[in-house]
Amino acid sequence: MKRQVLACKCPCSGGPGILELSEIIRCSPASHPCAPRRGLSAHLPLLSRLRFVFGTSVVPALDLVDRQSVTRFVSPSGRTVYQVVGSSGKLYTCYASCHFCSCPAFTFSVLRKGDNLVCKHLLAIYLSRATGACQEQSVSNQQLTALLLPEEK
Amino acid sequence: MAGKSHISEYLSDDENLEESNVETEATNLEFPKKFQFCFGVGFETDTGRSATDWLKSAQTLLQTPKKKIEKSLKTPEDSAKKRKLLRGGLAERLNRLQNRKRSAVNFWRHQRTSHYETLSGGKLGVLIVKILEMHEECTLCIAICHQLGQICADGSITKEIVEIQPRLKVLFAKETIAHLEAVPQDIIYIHPPWQKLFLQNENIPVILNTYFSQKVILKESTDISTDMDRPHLQEPLLAKRNVSLAWIFNLSDIKDNWSSTPAVNQVSCSSMKTSKNTENCFNIEPNVLVTSLSDSLLDVVEVQGTAEGTAIQVQVVIQRVYYLVAEDGFKCHPHGNNPPQNMAPLSKSDLQNLRLCLLVQDIYGIFSEIQLPVLFSSSQVTEQYSKKWEGKYCHISGLKILRRVTRGRTLGLFSLIDSLWPPLSPLQVPGKRQGNEMQVIANQLPPSFCYILAAHPDYIDADEKEQISNLYFPPAVHSLKEIYKMGDLPQRCSFWAYVVYRRLQGIVSTSPDWRQFWLFVTDFSLQRESEFSSGTPKTLPVSVASSCVIDVEVMDALKSPSPCVVFFKDAMCGNGKIICIERTVLLLQKPLLCTAAGSDITELTGPVKLDDLDSTTQINSICTVRGTVVGLNERTAFSWPTCNRCGNEKVEQHPQDKGLLYCSHCCEAITSPVFKMHLEVYLNCQSQPKSTVKVKLLQKSISSLLESSSMDDGSYEVTSVLRKEVGFLNCYVQSVTSHPSSCIGLEEIVLPDA
Repeated sequence: MKRQVLACKCPCSGGPGILELSEIIRCSPASHPCAPRRGLSAHLPLLSRLRFVFGTSVVPALDLVDRQSVTRFVSPSGRTVYQVVGSSGKLYTCYASCHFCSCPAFTFSVLRKGDNLVCKHLLAIYLSRATGACQEQSVSNQQLTALLLPEEK
Repeated sequence: MAGKSHISEYLSDDENLEESNVETEATNLEFPKKFQFCFGVGFETDTGRSATDWLKSAQTLLQTPKKKIEKSLKTPEDSAKKRKLLRGGLAERLNRLQNRKRSAVNFWRHQRTSHYETLSGGKLGVLIVKILEMHEECTLCIAICHQLGQICADGSITKEIVEIQPRLKVLFAKETIAHLEAVPQDIIYIHPPWQKLFLQNENIPVILNTYFSQKVILKESTDISTDMDRPHLQEPLLAKRNVSLAWIFNLSDIKDNWSSTPAVNQVSCSSMKTSKNTENCFNIEPNVLVTSLSDSLLDVVEVQGTAEGTAIQVQVVIQRVYYLVAEDGFKCHPHGNNPPQNMAPLSKSDLQNLRLCLLVQDIYGIFSEIQLPVLFSSSQVTEQYSKKWEGKYCHISGLKILRRVTRGRTLGLFSLIDSLWPPLSPLQVPGKRQGNEMQVIANQLPPSFCYILAAHPDYIDADEKEQISNLYFPPAVHSLKEIYKMGDLPQRCSFWAYVVYRRLQGIVSTSPDWRQFWLFVTDFSLQRESEFSSGTPKTLPVSVASSCVIDVEVMDALKSPSPCVVFFKDAMCGNGKIICIERTVLLLQKPLLCTAAGSDITELTGPVKLDDLDSTTQINSICTVRGTVVGLNERTAFSWPTCNRCGNEKVEQHPQDKGLLYCSHCCEAITSPVFKMHLEVYLNCQSQPKSTVKVKLLQKSISSLLESSSMDDGSYEVTSVLRKEVGFLNCYVQSVTSHPSSCIGLEEIVLPDA
C-alpha cells in the first residue's frame, strides 16, 4: 500500500542525511493507513503535517485534488500514466513510476534548484490516490502511446 | 543593518502564493494585511510644479511608456497566477488552518520575546533537545538532536531520557530556524503540538510540526559547550543538501555514495552560477562560515531570508553612484553629527532622508539599486564616491531586499537602466558556462524589474585600483545641439554646459514645496556662428526638480556670479527639453571614461550670445532685446535711499537731525545716500512691432537711461525718457500673453562675465 501510493521504490536509508525527507513522504498522511476513503478532512493534524513537510505546494495540490484534476490512464499492457489539469487549464503528463512531471515548476524547482521534492501536480497525484479522488480511465495501448509521445507540433 | 535581516515590503514566494489563493476569504481576519507588494510607491511622483506651460509639456517626458512584456527578463513571480480555491475543499480548509497557525505562532513568539526568559515552570509535553548537527534539505532544516528530556505531567523531566539521551531527527521550517538563530549545540524547547513519526527501517524517530520552538540559553556553568566552541555567527548558516536527481528519478545504486560522503561537503553548487573557479567559490570547512561568491543578483535575491542569504557574496559592476531621497520608513538618522547647513535646494529635514545609492549590474545583465545608509555630507560628495566605485567590479555581501520595482511605476529608475542598455560587452546567459558560449542577447529588451536592496558600506568590497570593467557603461556625452534635436522619446543623456543664468529664486523661499529651479545653459554647439540661422536656440532651459540631489559644492558654484561649467550626468532629455530628476548628478569635474567625441567641453570663443526677442520667444527663456522707450509704468516706479557704506536698504530718520538719514547697521548718519530705483519701461521693438514689451530694468540700465533727464530737484521728467533707445538688454522672459493683446513681460538679467 505504502509503496504503491508513493509509487517509487525508496532505498532504505542508512545514516543521517539525504533520505529523511523521502521517508517523511512515505509516512505522510497521503499514505496514512486511515486516510483513504474516509477523507483527509477528518484529519486536521495530518493536513497540518502535510503542510509542514511539503510547504507551500500542498495548498495548490489539495486544490487540484478538490477539483478532481487527476486522471490515471491504464492501458491493457499494464502501463499507467497520469494526467493533471493544471490551474491554468493546461494538461501535464506525469510518470509517477519514475517521479516526473512535464510542468515548468518541476524543471525549475525540483530539477534545477532542488528546493522541492515534488511539484504540485505530482503531490496532487499522491494525494488523489490516497483520498480516492483519482479518476481512472482505461485507454488502448495506442492511446497511451499517444499520451506518452505527443506528436511534435 | 548587520544584524538579523528583516525584510520589509518584500514578500517571499511562499506568502505570495498563499495570498493569491485566499483572495476570496474576506472573513479571514488572520491574514496579515501587511504583506502587500508595493511597487515603486512614491518614488517618481515628485516631478515638480507645473508652474508654467513649459513644464506641462515637459511632463509628457515623464509619462509612462507602453508596456512591453514579450522577451523581457522575468522572475518566477511574474508568472504567478491568481486562482481561487474551491469552496469547502481541502485546500481551503488547510489554508485557513495554516493562517490560524501562523497567527498563533506569531502570538506565541510575541509572548516570548526574549530568549533569555526562563521557561516558566514545567509545561506538559515540552520536548528538550540539543542540536548536534543540522542541514537544509528542500524546504526544511533537518537537525540531528539529542533528546535531553521531556517534561512530564508532574513537571519533572523524565529521568530515563536524560540518561540515555536518545537521538532524534527534528525537522524545522526554515523560517523557524531563522527566527531561532539556532546553531549546533543550542538547546531547543519544542512545545506541543509536535508530532513524532517512526519511520520504516529507521530507528531514529522524526519530530514534526515544530512551529512552537524556543531557544534556551543556559548559564555558562552548565555542561553546554562554552562560547569558544561555537561559531560566532549572527545567523545560522546551513549547508544545503540537495536531493540528487538520481534519487528523484529513482535510479539505483546511489545510496552508498551519498551516505559515505561527509555531510558538510554536500553543499550544493547548483544554484550558484559561478563557474570559473568552482573550487574557490566555497570556503567549506566544518563549522566555519560558509561564504560563497555568486555572480547573479537573482540568486542572491532567491536565497535572501534563508540561512544561505547572509553568507552569499555577489560580484557586480557599479554602473552609477548617486544620492536619492529615501522614502519614508528607510530614514537614516545622523549619529550625533549635525547635518551641514546651507544645503539648498533640499531643506534640512531632507538631509536625513538622503541615501547614497549604487546602481549595479551583474554579468547576466540584471540590475539592482543598492541603498547605503551613508549620510549626505559636504565632505563626501558624490564625485568622490563616483571616482572610488563607478565602473569597478565589487563584491557585496549582507544584502537585504527592500522591494521589487517594475518598469511601469518607477520610470526614473528604468529610464536610467534603459540608458545602460544594450550592454557594451556580451552578457552571460544563465545556465551556460563561460567561454565560447558567451553571447549577447541582441534583441533582448532590458529587464522589466529591478530589486531595491540595502547594504552596509562595510560590506562593499571594491578594489579602487582595479581596472574599469568592460561591462561598465560610461555616460554618453552629447552636445546640446544633439539633445535639442532629439526625438520625443525621453531618455537619459549627459552633457557639458556653461550655466549662463540661474533662476534660483525658489531656493531663497522658505517654502519647502518650492524647490524646483531653472538653469539656462549653452555650449559651443549652440553658440557657433554657423548655427545661428538654423533655428536652434542659443541657450536651453534646464529644469532642476526637487528630487535631484545636488552637492553643496556644485550648488555654491551655481550661486556664485562667476561663470561655471557643469557636467550634467543622466539628465532626462527629449523633445528639446531637459529635466534633472532623481538619479541625475551634477558634477563640476569630468567623470571617468566618458564616451563620444564631446567628452570634453569646447571652450566658447566669445561672450555668450542670446536669442533675439521675436515671435518665437517662449515664456521661461532668456533673450536679448533692443527698442525705444514708449512708456513708463508710473505706478511701480519708485526710488529709495540706501546706506552708502553698507548698502542697508532700511534706513531711518536720524533721531536728532530730522533732515538726515540714519543707518541702524552702521549706527551713523547717512550723509550721501545712494538711491536705488525700480523702473519698468514699455519698449517698441522692431523685431516684435505688434507686441507690448515690458521690461523690468536693473539698476545700471535705469541709471544710464535717466542720466540726461535728471531735474534739479532730483525728480525726472517722463518725456525726456520717452523715445530713448535701450539695448541690447539681456532678459528673462517672465510672461507671454497673446490675449487680449500681445504682451511680453521681461526682466533684465546679468550674465556672468565671460
